[in-house]
Amino acid sequence: MSAESLTANTESAPAAKRGFGNSAAMRMVKYMGLRLLTMMVTITIGVYLTILIANMGGYVDTIMRNEIRDSTTQAILANPQFRNLTPEAKQELIQKKIASEEKRRGLDKPFAIRSVNYLRNALTLNLGRAMYMTSDHGSKEVRLIILERLPATLLLAGTSQLLLFFGSIFIALSLSRKYGSWFDKLTIALSPTSAVPPWFYGIFLILIFAAILKILPFGGLVDVPPPENSFDYGLSVLKHLILPATSVIISAIFLSIYNWRTFFLIFSSEDYVEVAKAKGLPPRDVERRYILRPTLPTIITNFALLVIALWTGFTITETVFVWPGLGITIYRAIGAYDTPVIVGSTIIYAYLLALTVFLLDFVYALVDPRVKVGSESSQ
Amino acid sequence: MTHNSKLLNIEDLVLHFKTLQGPVQAVDGVNFSLDSNRAVVILGESGCGKSSLARAILRLLPRNAGTYSGHIYLNGNDIMTLPEDDFRQTIRWAAISMVPQAAMNSLNPVIRVGDQVAEPAIVHLGVSKADAISLVKKMFQHVGVPEDFINRYPFELSGGMRQRVAIAMALVTSPMLIILDEPTSALDVLTQANIFNVLKRLKKELGISFILITHDIATSSELADDVAVMYAGQIVEVGDTYRFFDHPLHPYSQKLMASVPRLHSDKEPEFIVGRPPSLINLPQGCRFADRCPARFEKCVQNPPVFEQDGRQVKCWLYA
Ligand SMILES: Nc1ncnc2c1ncn2[C@@H]1O[C@H](COP(=O)(O)OP(=O)(O)OP(=O)(O)O)[C@@H](O)[C@H]1O
Ligand code: SF4
Ligand SMILES: [Mg+2]
Repeated sequence: MSAESLTANTESAPAAKRGFGNSAAMRMVKYMGLRLLTMMVTITIGVYLTILIANMGGYVDTIMRNEIRDSTTQAILANPQFRNLTPEAKQELIQKKIASEEKRRGLDKPFAIRSVNYLRNALTLNLGRAMYMTSDHGSKEVRLIILERLPATLLLAGTSQLLLFFGSIFIALSLSRKYGSWFDKLTIALSPTSAVPPWFYGIFLILIFAAILKILPFGGLVDVPPPENSFDYGLSVLKHLILPATSVIISAIFLSIYNWRTFFLIFSSEDYVEVAKAKGLPPRDVERRYILRPTLPTIITNFALLVIALWTGFTITETVFVWPGLGITIYRAIGAYDTPVIVGSTIIYAYLLALTVFLLDFVYALVDPRVKVGSESSQ
Repeated sequence: MTHNSKLLNIEDLVLHFKTLQGPVQAVDGVNFSLDSNRAVVILGESGCGKSSLARAILRLLPRNAGTYSGHIYLNGNDIMTLPEDDFRQTIRWAAISMVPQAAMNSLNPVIRVGDQVAEPAIVHLGVSKADAISLVKKMFQHVGVPEDFINRYPFELSGGMRQRVAIAMALVTSPMLIILDEPTSALDVLTQANIFNVLKRLKKELGISFILITHDIATSSELADDVAVMYAGQIVEVGDTYRFFDHPLHPYSQKLMASVPRLHSDKEPEFIVGRPPSLINLPQGCRFADRCPARFEKCVQNPPVFEQDGRQVKCWLYA
């Protein structure tokens, strides 16, 4: 206890001031407010850009106008009720009809004003009515069109992606332990299988299990007619889920394992992992505390991005399996220039993304002591 | 043989690394022994295999490890034959601990340093977390880290502090042997001296033995009883500190000692011409031959180890 402790104490100055005092709480609130504000700005810009692009800077208007003109003219000329009218009167009637139809669709105001209206509606989640598409129940409400399809998409994407995510992390971790082993080499050799999209495997699986073996259904969400009792209903859905989920998993699993394995390999050659082994800690502790724990931020980020990506669904896979998901809906909306549906799905996506990023910030601070929420912005 | 009376007795230890160019023979037939309550300093140029030797002793093999063979007797028992899990439980940190060369990076960035230092005590001494923490505080006192640092994360510590924490971590289980791989390279002279005082005291009070790897020949003489000189993957000379510093035997050791700058000396520090051989393509005969001023005909053959008044030297001059 001589000079040893003397030299050391000079360093205690920036002492560990942890635990949240009053000022820390204030800082936190300020930081959160700031984050929310910047997020709203980002969302607004993003959604407005989507509106502009989806409208193609007003080009959609022209398409719509032409279409209204054509269909109105056709309707009036073909209507026997108006056959006796003079050409002038017909022309006038047509013009009036067109004007009222354009007014109904809001085309009478300039695009700049309309785009701002769209934006306001979009941001308040007032998603409006679709131009052409209808929900399976016949509604034109964009919200209904999207919500109706969401559960099926989440079921398929959620099941397959969660299994894929946790499965591949678990397998990758054990592979990184057995670097260069037979199974490790097999995984690397198989990783190019992910170059093939899920629907391709889907076709094969349908051929084998539905057409030849006849043990699983060809497609759809549930038996026709749907079972009455909810247990049987769930069972039927599960049966229908097996093939599409399997094809999604097969198409990604080896590449995903390969990626995570490489990731864990890199992080398990950190000096502190070596020291942990040297300390004689049980391998499970080394893995948990020295490999997983420091890489948690990256794992969580990947997980969050995955959760966001669930929302978009798998267009072609859903088509192959006649799965009533969102992927097909959005694909059709884009093909038909159905702006409200495109904007509607984008806005929900944007909100989801922003929410995830916002939450991530706090999760990072929880799992990584090097990240301190709000410490920079308050200076 | 004599290996029963020794704390550590290493025979023909080999550790090669596989590379695309061929095996790197970083540890290539190392022999030496260490009594309990003694300290040996290992000297040698950068890249001669000192850290690899430390790894080989603790069986810390990198993924590209190739040949790994020989005998390591600890109190007479060959620990090379221990199964992995026994080795982990009875040797690593229980009997032999280490301060790694990259001591500054040896701490997990997301775990409080106190917990990291406490871990080996909990695992190997079977003490409760609270007892382990009070042990940690004691060790921190030894190496001059303020007690309240136990709640800090590594990034909140300076490089020198992290090095001290790494040293405290090596001490916490009071092992029989501690391997220190350049433990004080990031510390100022005063702190270095303090650390060496601590190590000296631990050696005296607890009878701990040390293997000290360093380039700092002057400071190491404080702690070391013996000196081992390593060249191109092999130990070329072992002897007691006193006589070694007075007159080293091996031509390489002589050059090495002459290259140390001295205060108040008219003699310019010498340097050794040439570079050590590549550990992938080693020469057949004496590995130092290319650079040796005393080379003669015999040197095209690999010299055995010769005894000279209780000192060992691997050179034909002492045949
Ligand atoms: N994992 C590895 N794969 C291939 N070569 C390696 C590996 N680890 C070390 N080496 C090589 O082995 C030789 C000995 O390395 P080592 O780290 O033991 O040297 P050292 O004596 O500790 O040097 P220094 O004094 O610079 O720390 C070097 O040539 C190094 O490049
Ligand atoms: S054996 Fe020969 S070449 Fe090698 S160190 Fe001795 S004298 Fe020099
Ligand atoms: Mg080294």
